[in-house]
Amino acid sequence: MIQNPAEKLLYEVSAPGRRCLRLPTLDVPKVDIKHALKGAKLRAKPAVLPEVGELDLVRHFKNLAQMNFSVDRNFYPLGSCTMKYNPKINVTLLSLPGFTKAHPHLPEADLQGHIELMVTLETWLREISGLDAVTLQPAAGAQGEMTGLMVIKAYLESRGEAKTRTKIVIPDSAHGTNPATAALAGFDTVTLKSKPDGGVDLEALKAAVGPDTAAMMITNPSTLGVIEPNMVEIAKILHAAGAQLYMDGANMNAIQGVVRPGDLGIDVMHFNLHKTYSVPHGSGGPGAGPIAVRKHLEPFLPYPRPVKTDKGYTLSNPNPKQTIGKVRSFFGNYGALVMAYIYMAQLGREGVRRNGENATLNANYLRAALRGVYHIHNDKTCAHEVVFTDKKQHEENDISALDIAKRMIDYGIHPMTIYFPQPNVVAGHGAMMVEPTETESKETLDYFVDVMKKIAQECKDNPDLVHNAPHTTPVARVDEKSATTNPQLYCAICIA
Amino acid sequence: MPFIQNTDADRAAMLAAIGVKSIDDLFADIPAGLRIKMSDAGTFKLPPGKGELEVTRHIQDLLSRTKNAGDYAYFRGGGIYNHFVSTVIDHIALFDGSFITAYTPYQPECSQGTLTFIYEFQSAICALTGLEVSNASMYDGASALAEAMMMGKHVAEDRFRKETRNNFILAGAVNPEYAQVVQTYADVAGIKVVKVPAGPDGRIDKEALAKAATRKAFAIAVQSPNYLGIIEDVEGVVAAAKEPELLTIQAVGEALSLALLQTPAEAGVDICIGEGQSLGNHQFLGGPAFGFFSAKKEWLRKMPGRIVSETKDKNGKRAFALALATREQHIRREKATSNICTNQSLCALRALLHLSAWGKEGFVELAEHTVAKTQYAMKALSAVPGVSLVHPDVPVFNEFVIQAMPGLEKKVLKKKVAGGLPLDKYGKGRRGQYLVAITEVTTKEEIDRYAEALAEAMKGKPVTVS
Repeated sequence: MIQNPAEKLLYEVSAPGRRCLRLPTLDVPKVDIKHALKGAKLRAKPAVLPEVGELDLVRHFKNLAQMNFSVDRNFYPLGSCTMKYNPKINVTLLSLPGFTKAHPHLPEADLQGHIELMVTLETWLREISGLDAVTLQPAAGAQGEMTGLMVIKAYLESRGEAKTRTKIVIPDSAHGTNPATAALAGFDTVTLKSKPDGGVDLEALKAAVGPDTAAMMITNPSTLGVIEPNMVEIAKILHAAGAQLYMDGANMNAIQGVVRPGDLGIDVMHFNLHKTYSVPHGSGGPGAGPIAVRKHLEPFLPYPRPVKTDKGYTLSNPNPKQTIGKVRSFFGNYGALVMAYIYMAQLGREGVRRNGENATLNANYLRAALRGVYHIHNDKTCAHEVVFTDKKQHEENDISALDIAKRMIDYGIHPMTIYFPQPNVVAGHGAMMVEPTETESKETLDYFVDVMKKIAQECKDNPDLVHNAPHTTPVARVDEKSATTNPQLYCAICIA
Repeated sequence: MPFIQNTDADRAAMLAAIGVKSIDDLFADIPAGLRIKMSDAGTFKLPPGKGELEVTRHIQDLLSRTKNAGDYAYFRGGGIYNHFVSTVIDHIALFDGSFITAYTPYQPECSQGTLTFIYEFQSAICALTGLEVSNASMYDGASALAEAMMMGKHVAEDRFRKETRNNFILAGAVNPEYAQVVQTYADVAGIKVVKVPAGPDGRIDKEALAKAATRKAFAIAVQSPNYLGIIEDVEGVVAAAKEPELLTIQAVGEALSLALLQTPAEAGVDICIGEGQSLGNHQFLGGPAFGFFSAKKEWLRKMPGRIVSETKDKNGKRAFALALATREQHIRREKATSNICTNQSLCALRALLHLSAWGKEGFVELAEHTVAKTQYAMKALSAVPGVSLVHPDVPVFNEFVIQAMPGLEKKVLKKKVAGGLPLDKYGKGRRGQYLVAITEVTTKEEIDRYAEALAEAMKGKPVTVS
């Protein structure tokens, strides 16, 4: 078979002696490495890295680029991930040397504009959260969760309650990171069964909460895409028991500018700036997961904290005895913070609200347009995302959510999130969670609706077509099981 | 409106299709009294939005109140390094939307681009460290070390069920940023961090290490090259870990050192983590970059983070997919050993581009070039009257410590030299010491300028050696 070199791995198009970059002329005396390194042991052989010229290097990655769906080219309604458009100005301004060559150990006098940016971004996130203090340090949502629970733990310790308040209550519909984080932060988890509509069962919550409760972690809007109607009562139950209320802000895109979580009784929340504020997802990171807290938790936030003083901007550690410490080196994912800042500066007050409204409008439009075509788990007003299931197609034609997702690829649409929320939360069906985001036009949504209707018809007329999808991709349906049972994790050539 | 494409007419049609009168109706589940009243300018105090031109001016204005490494002869490292970043990297990773605007490759059929580069990245990390498995990357070097600690604890709990092993040994001069993050994670996990200090020569105090390396511990971590730039005897650490059966972890702050030095695999360590910034990632005040995480094959199923494997499609064609998800939080929930959800894919892509652009020979030459310049800088700076090398007899890679006098920072800055990082706060007895970092960007002229600035700053002043 003839294979285009551009489709091979970099290692497979390598040839000894090929290269892309050359060093500057050595302007100091050459040294003998063994002598210079005073007998330190050296590696036996050079690392086996690719050997390619610039053209083959660029062509390889441009070819890989074509094998990827991305927001720039495809509608990407991946539920819970908020795959909105990432304005080009984000990366253009980020590539200015003022950012790319901003070394963390520069004198503070040279960082004034950066610290100012951080202080302002904190102010905006405080205003949107309705809470009193923010740290920008966590590198991702999961690290934000970790930081939030560490702050709660430190607060409990300061009150002598850390040994008695050991439990975190988490609804069964929560993202997996919530229970994993609680366990890593040294808490026991109590799983709360959600009501069928995804809401919190207040009676069950009252029964679960007591003097041993440290906090509840709640996702609002829930992972079923529904705004929790009883937030105020939930907060009252937690606070009456002396516990804290943590909000996973993964779904903040729906309610930003509409309601401030602090006004609902939230004590701590994290933002996912890569979801809500257009930091590109980068094929799976980097993101940023700042947290916002109520006043009583502020002394425990990580250091350093950017502050404005009479003499200018500074990075300080105002509560050295109470702070939890650092969760990430230096100042977090500052480059990601810069992109969120640029985006939010463009949104402004009206734009934040407009995003929340249009994200919610777009999701509800899809819910209405596909009603009757696909089963809707909870057919009432949704927030920024709507959960369909494969109930109908599964019962009628033995087609699963996975099959439907794969067929969407043939129509140039990235699949929605499937099998989350987990089957036990959606009556045993395969969930198909669709989050269109506010940046998509009605035309794109209508195309999506037409495609989904067509696939529903294909399930009836030609189920094999759907079972065997996708048909138009560089590779056909991938055997993901053997990737786990028989993992092959590197090119054999790399380790002799 | 910016970033919203729906027109008022679209919105009206959509509301009609939904069967509600206004967008407000969609938020009926939020008590009306708690909703933000946009008509009240006193609430929800965010500034009005700016257009692209205005926001560009605003960012330029902010940057006018900053300076960056390019404004100086720059000699600071300490975990983030002022390397040259090839233009090819930004063209692929930043300006081509295909990677930067994609998500985690959950659907392999339309994500082969991402999955392939992660597989190639894993291969390159395995080549650098000599270890058999690498994940798809972590947040940074510091949290990668914290994750390695958590993993070590879980491994020990499985291996030594009848023993209580709760000490994590941090040996020698570890980057304080790493040590602080490790401490934060250890605090909530109930792990005791035991710090073994560096001896007078800047390397691990071996006697103190032998004392700490007992069966009360579960792992030893060593940074090499360490925070002071010194190459540690990693084999010696592995030997100390043998009898008490401790897991060994090597942390690498400057990944370029792996081009020349004995590999973690050759030294015999179980896990090698490190900061990947120096591999094609911009400085951005320290992030985003990425942490790499590699280990011996036997620890694969305990490793945190995403991992990509080669597999086949249903027609037998080579394909790549995420593997071993059963370790991860979205499957195991509270039983998972890490809460890591995403990696730092885009930064890993940059590293792969960097390593490939330099290539097998070029990457070694880059390291050798750096060693030559470092050696020259050591000679030039220590030739300044009153200035000396603090650890003259031990091997260093691209960083070294000089003894001068306190308070020179501002004086040399006036000569457009950002001299070495003051170590006054790093530890007792480090007053007047500076950690000097060299990269391929540093020129002889800049080193000479630094030496001149130092000489002038030191002139006529008593030399204090603590």
